[in-house]
Order: sequence, then structure tokens, then C-alpha cells
Amino acid sequence: MPDWQRYVRDRLPPLRIGPERENEIVAELALQLEQAFSDAIAAGASQAEAALRAEAQFQDWNALAGEIESVERHTSPPPRGLPRNAVEGCLQDLGYAVRLLRRSPAASALAVATLAAGLGGSAAIFAIADAVALRGLPYADSKRLMAVETHKSRQPELEAWTSMPDLLDLRRRTGAFSLIAGVSPVWNLVMTGRGDAERLECLYVSAEFFPMLGVRAALGRTFLSSEDGEKPSAVVVLSDAFWRRRFGGARDVVGRAATLDGGVYTIVGVLPAGFRYVGEPLAGTAGEIDAWLPLSANQLRDSARSLRFLKAIGRLKPGVSVEQGRADVRRIGTALSAEYPEACRGYAYDAQPLAAVSAGRVRTAMMMLLGAVGFVMVMACANVANLLLTRLSARRRELSVRAALGASRFRLARQLLAEGFVMAAAAAVFSSFAAIGLLRWLMSIAPPSLVKPGEVAVGGRTLLFAAVAALACAFVAGMPPAWRAARSDLETGLRESGRSLAPGRHRLRSALVVLQIALALALTTGAGLLIHSFRRVLDVDPGFDARNLLTISTQLPMSARTPPERTAVWRRLREALSRAPGVRAVAAVSRLPLLGKNLSSWLYVEGRPMPAAEPGFDVEYRVATAEYFATMGIPLRRGRRFDEHDDANPGAVLLVNESAARTFWPGQDPVGRRVKLGAPSANSPWITVVGVVGDIHHAGLETEMRPEIYRPYAVNPLSAPILVIRTSGDAAALMPMLAATVRSTAAGMPAYNIFQMEELLARSMAQRRFLMLLLTGFAAAALLLAGVGIYGTVSQSVALRTREIGVRMALGAEPAAALRLVFESGFRLIGIGLGLGWVAVAALTRLVRSLLFEVRPLDAAALAGAAVVLACFALAACYFPARRATRIDPIAALREDG
Amino acid sequence: MIVLALLEARPRHGYELARLIESQSENRVQFHVASLYPMLYRLERKRLVEGRWVEKAGERRRRFYRLTPAGRRALAAQRGAWREFVNALDALTGFSHA
Repeated sequence: MPDWQRYVRDRLPPLRIGPERENEIVAELALQLEQAFSDAIAAGASQAEAALRAEAQFQDWNALAGEIESVERHTSPPPRGLPRNAVEGCLQDLGYAVRLLRRSPAASALAVATLAAGLGGSAAIFAIADAVALRGLPYADSKRLMAVETHKSRQPELEAWTSMPDLLDLRRRTGAFSLIAGVSPVWNLVMTGRGDAERLECLYVSAEFFPMLGVRAALGRTFLSSEDGEKPSAVVVLSDAFWRRRFGGARDVVGRAATLDGGVYTIVGVLPAGFRYVGEPLAGTAGEIDAWLPLSANQLRDSARSLRFLKAIGRLKPGVSVEQGRADVRRIGTALSAEYPEACRGYAYDAQPLAAVSAGRVRTAMMMLLGAVGFVMVMACANVANLLLTRLSARRRELSVRAALGASRFRLARQLLAEGFVMAAAAAVFSSFAAIGLLRWLMSIAPPSLVKPGEVAVGGRTLLFAAVAALACAFVAGMPPAWRAARSDLETGLRESGRSLAPGRHRLRSALVVLQIALALALTTGAGLLIHSFRRVLDVDPGFDARNLLTISTQLPMSARTPPERTAVWRRLREALSRAPGVRAVAAVSRLPLLGKNLSSWLYVEGRPMPAAEPGFDVEYRVATAEYFATMGIPLRRGRRFDEHDDANPGAVLLVNESAARTFWPGQDPVGRRVKLGAPSANSPWITVVGVVGDIHHAGLETEMRPEIYRPYAVNPLSAPILVIRTSGDAAALMPMLAATVRSTAAGMPAYNIFQMEELLARSMAQRRFLMLLLTGFAAAALLLAGVGIYGTVSQSVALRTREIGVRMALGAEPAAALRLVFESGFRLIGIGLGLGWVAVAALTRLVRSLLFEVRPLDAAALAGAAVVLACFALAACYFPARRATRIDPIAALREDG
Repeated sequence: MIVLALLEARPRHGYELARLIESQSENRVQFHVASLYPMLYRLERKRLVEGRWVEKAGERRRRFYRLTPAGRRALAAQRGAWREFVNALDALTGFSHA
């Protein structure tokens, strides 16, 4: 028998492959020849014949060698066969995903842009929400800080204040709090002796205040407990901003003297730049605290238990829960009420986390915005998922082949997830630019009362949020196609033409569109409700005429101490201002509407039974000059206004507003009726109601009117009158001149809080306007996304049914029939989406109830309006595919699939 | 596809495959042994088949090829595609299995 191995070796040209593999191949080919030879012999052939037969099998050795070499050297193992490890596999998947995305740049760019917009918007809103409502207060261990509050039990919504004796008792008796500090309301002190007199916003605080918050002075020190004792201490701590502004940031400021309201105070410290009290920026004026004084220096430090003017903040002892802290305060409150029934009647004691108090309603608004932006993001993800699903159907053959070549379903799903991931990663990069730009713009339009510009930046938490959100997007967008790929019978894909779409996949796409419509409806309805509320607020009559009206706050000089002296200064001021060109009327009042300050008093009404459990009727108390009502444009409803005759006996008369008239003298004329201020038993004189004036919105346009009384200026000449000036023309142009007039009336008289009343009105609505604008923006984005989703899905279904439509038209159907076919499928999606959307709205609007004003959460107009807007948008999205359907050429359509 | 189908039942060596192709197609399929081996090597590189030297008692050492799971799937896919193709041809030419 021939040596077949040698035979092959002699004829087969050398293969440029590994020697081991070459030997194997040679051996195998030799075996083939040997077997053929043996079989031929067995069949009766001669040796020579058998050898010839065997040799005939391989004739062109050069061609064979070339072919083997090409296979061995150039046939690579299947690209996604079995990766060495998972990391390598993932990297392969990512690389492949990048190549795929680059293959259809327009669609990929659209998807990435959609996601980037969603992510960027979310990150920007998160940055604001985080700064305003989510991040804990910027104090040491702030979760243990509680606001200790004394509420009016009948009106718990009113701001809570605590009295000095209550504060001391709480501090003495508590078992749950390690420290309890008192904080006064904002106090205006006038600083003199350093250039122009300047009115400062000040707070009086207990010595515990700064240590309790974990705040140390940047320069010098804060207050010693000895400075907050029985005797007043003339020391002051400055804010960083004020120190820089008025003292040029001089480091030797500690130990220097400052003249405040005529008293000399020693500057003992400067606070760090970042420090901010929870009450800042101040309501109404958006100002900041300039200086801090010890509570002992406040003139009300020895006041009675019934004078509630303090905020109390406590730090829980380690290991004490919030609930235990609350129980502790309630227990002390019950004891105090029993011991001091007269002073404590009508009040309830409680505590709540300081963070909750400071965030308040803003928190609800921020949560709503975060929710809204989350919806938009889910919609963006749904759009991307839809895009991937469309692409999946185009790639069905490819995936089937890969499945046939050994890729497991898990691998295919992972590949599709990788595509979602690559898109989300690209989107995350672009979204950071979008977020920074958007945030900058939002901060430029955000009301300072909501958020201070310097406070919000794209920081670590925001980046973390964006990263997590991007990852979530990758999953949300990549999951539906991955799920589809893992579930579907891929082998059938080989048989299908690339364009076709299994009905199941279409259902998934439809489900995504339905989801988008539902979410868009929820957002549009939310925006509608807020727009509706805003219009209602705009419609609210503030009760006064804000046009050409301006206000200036001032402070009478310390030299004017007695009522006659103060009255004299006021008259001089009034005359000087009245003489100024363009001024039509001048008046003064103790509390201006919308500035966020109030003062209330108990009222005893003759002949009317006292409310149970309270020492009197709770009314707002104001002092006003005779000209105030005419200047403000507050109408007189009955009786008369104050006049010069009242100056002779100012204590004998007062005016009430309509709410008070309705509450205390329902169906009767209040003019001529008598009341007492304070407790009924007091020896205070009877006061006669001489007139009824119109209601005005003092606390804000959205709050209910409260009963109010006005007393003449002469009964209590104000040391800090707020001037209102009506001008004949543009009030803004006169402001500098009028402020200068006020300052020149007496030495050391400041002029501050100079506003046009229209500006004050606008500011009171700024938060609502901001919220409405943002939500409207989200709703618009949602409409757009839903439109794109519907368009894509309906287009796809038209493409799918091209043949069907073609056949129908070939059989004589009118284009209108094709139109109907398309709109029917669109209508079905819209109908289901709207139905689900309404369910979502019903569930969600309850949560935003507190943000609405005079609009019910299930407001029919808002619900119907949103649905109509959405339906119009959806129909427009159906229109283009439908038009394409009517233009289908039956011949071409049939040929296409035939 | 033919090679994969022949390996479906059990592993075979190259010579056996060549014989089977010739005999089962009753010599109707033009087939060269010279193209069998490069094809086997290609399928092996693609991990659709796996070749292994086996020594049986009283026989020579031979290289047996068997189908891998991926090969089995590819065969099913190819069969499907083929069936489709045949159906399409039938439809075009007017013949039907029914």
C-alpha cells in the first residue's frame, strides 16, 4: 500500500498555518485517500487501479491548499460566539452598539437629543429641588432640630409664635431637648454714625442659638450665655455680607462700636459667609439678616406670657425620636395651660422638624416638579424604546442569524440593553450642558423668595442623580426591545422579510404610546390646573388700586420719642412729600399689604358671646393715618373714614373691614357699635366703630380675608411708619427723589423697602408664576414627545399595512377609506391613553391640591381642555402617515411584497 | 446544510461524509471530495461542528466531526429558510404541496 501521508506531503504546497494543524490536515487527507484505496481493493480493483481511483479524488493540490489556507487564516470564529469573560463580552456589545448607532445617525441623534433633554431638565430641576427642599438644613446634625410651636388651636394654619415665659418654661421642663433657643421676629434697627443712616434687618437670638446650629463665628465669637442673662448686653454679631458692605471686610472690626437705634453696641463677631437662617430670604422683601443681637437686648424680653413673638427651636437629645420630642412639648403645653389658663387659652403646643417647617409648601411644589420631570423622562425613554423596537424589527434577520450562530437569548438581550446604555451615556454627556444652561436660565427667572441664585449649582449630588437617572433611562429604554428579543421566536426571523413586524411587537410599541399619552395627559392636566389657578389669582382684587402707588418704609429718629414729637415729624414728612412734584396723596400705615408681616389682637364685641376657649375674637390690628384709605383706593362701605377731629380723642374710634362687619355684626350695621381691645374684663375703654372699609388682601392674594380693625395714627404714632404715596404719573421715576425727601426730613431717617405696589403684587405671585411656567414647559415637552411617539407608531403601522391598503385601493376603495383605516388605529391608541391618563390624573391631582387656588383638583375644564389639546396633537401626528396612506400606489404596494 | 444534516444523527468522519453525500444523492449532486475538507474546516472555525481524533479498538485513528449546539440551531434555521425558498418556488411555478 502506498504511503499516503508521504503522497499528500509531496503534493500539497506548504500551508502558512501552524505546523501542528498542518500535520493534522495532512493526516486527515491521507486517511481519505487510504480509505478510498482500501475500498477500491475490496471492490476487486487492482493495486494500480485502486491507487488511481484514490488519487483522482484530489487533483488540483494548489487550489486545495489555497482554499484550506484561506479558511484557516481568514474564517474568524463567530463574532459573538463565546466571549472569554463577561467584561469582554460587554465591551464587545458596547462597541457593536456604537457602530450600530453610527449606522443611522439621524435617528440616533434624535433619540439621544430626546434623552439628553429629558435628563438635562431632570438634573436642573433636581439641583433646584435639592437646594430648596431635599437637602437637609445646612446645620450640624440638622435632623435633630425641631421647631417648637404654639399654635392658635382654632387656626393652626397661622404662623406660630411663642412667648418669652413659655420659652423659659419649655427650656426648664423639657426632658427631650438638650437646647431650646428663642429667635425674635425680624427687627429693624437704624444704624447711624457711619455715613448715611441705614436700616438694618436684625434678629434677637438666645445665646444657645449659634452653638445649637453648630455655627461658629468666622471672626471673633458669637454670644456668651452671660450676655443672654437677666440684664441686656449691648453686643452685636454681623453677617458676612453686611460686614463686607459696611466695614469693607476689615478684620479688626471685632471690638469696634456700632450705633444702633441710638444705643452703642460692641461688635463681637462676624458670621461665616455661607450661614443662612431658615427664615431667610425674608418674606416679602427677600432681604437678609444684617446683624444678630442677644435676646436679652430685646425690649420685649420681660413681656407677659400672652405676648407671643418668638420662634423656638430645639435640638433633640441623642437617642430621642421626633415623636418623643413632640410628646414632650405637648406634655409641657398641657401643664402650662393648666397653670396659666388665662394666657394659654386657645393655644396648643407642638413641635415638628425644622426642615419640614422651612420647606413647607415649597416642598410640595418641588416634589411636583420632580414628579413632572420624571414623567417627561419616562416619556423620552418610551420614545427611545420605540425607536429601538423599530430598529429591532429591521434587524430581525441579523439577530436571528446571530441566534442561529450560537448567541443565547441573554446575549441578544444584553446587546440590545447595551444599545440603550450607549444612547443614555451619550445623552448624559450632552445633558450636562443642557442642565447647566437650563439651570442658569431657571435661576434668572426664579423668584428670589424661592431660591437664592448663589445657592444652586450643579454639584456632586446633582451629578450622582444624573448618573443614576441615565442608568435608569438605559434600562427603561433598552428593556422593552431586549425583552422582545429574548422572548421572540427568532428562528422565524430568518423567514420573514426584514421590514415585517410581528403583531406582538406592534402591541408593545402601542403600549408604549398609550403610556406616553397617559403621562402627557397627566402633565397637561396638571399644567392646566396651575394655569387656571394662576388666572384665578390674577383675577383676585387685592382690595386696593396698585397703579401709580409706591411705598417707602422709614423709621422716625430716636429723638422723636413722645407721641406729640412723632406726630410732628410725621406732619413734616407728609408736607415735604406732598409738595414734591407728581405726588397726589401721602399716607402712613403700620403694616403694608403683601409684605408678609402681621399683628393681631383680641377683640371683645359688645353684646356678642365670647368664643369658647379663647379670650376674644382674633382680629388683625392696624394703625393708619386719615388719608390712608383714599390714598390706597380702599373703598368706604359705610359710615366715615378717620378725620382731623378724631385726633382730639383718637382712642375712641376705629374702622373695621367688611369681613369683620360680616363676622361680628351679621346682617346689621356695625357703625355706632362698641368694642374693646384685649380681654373683656380689662378696664380698657369702649371704642366706637365709625366706619366700614373694603377688604384688602394683607397676607397674600391667595389667603382668605380676615377680620381687621384700623385705629387712627394719633392713638399710636408709629416709630416705623410705612408710607404709601400715590403719584399722578409713573411712580418708578419718582422713587429716588421721594426717598431723598424722606431722608432729608430729619437727621438719621432711613428710607428703605422702596417699591411700586404693582411690583409687590407681582412678587407675591412670583412663585406661582414660576411653578406654572415650568409645569407648562414640561407639559409642552410631553405633548411633543407623545406626538413623536404616536407619529412613529402610526407611521410604522401604515408601512406594515401598505400592501393591505394597496389591495383595498386596487379593489376600488376610496382614499378616504385608507384615511379612516389609519385614523382608526390612531384613535384606538389615543382613546386608551386618555382613559388611563384620566385614572392617573384622578390619583395624582390629590397630591397637588395644596398648590391649587380656587380650582378643584378634578376641574372639568382643565380635564377636558387637556384631553382636547392632547387629542388634537395626536390627530395631527396621525395626519401625516394617513396622508401617505392615501397616496399609496396599489401596483407598487403589491409589487413590493409580492 | 447538507453536511450539517448528515451530522445531525451522529458524529461521522470525513470519508464517511463523502460516501454518504455521493450515495444518498444518488450521484445527482455534483460533489468533489476536494471541497469537503475546506468546508468542514470552515464549519469548525465557525464552531458549528467540532472535530476530534478518535481511536477505536482495531481501527485506525480517525477525525470524527459532530454537531455543536450552535450547529444544530443553524441547521434548523437553514432548513426553515430552505423550506421557505422551496415554497416560494412552488408558488411561483404553480405547484403546491396541497
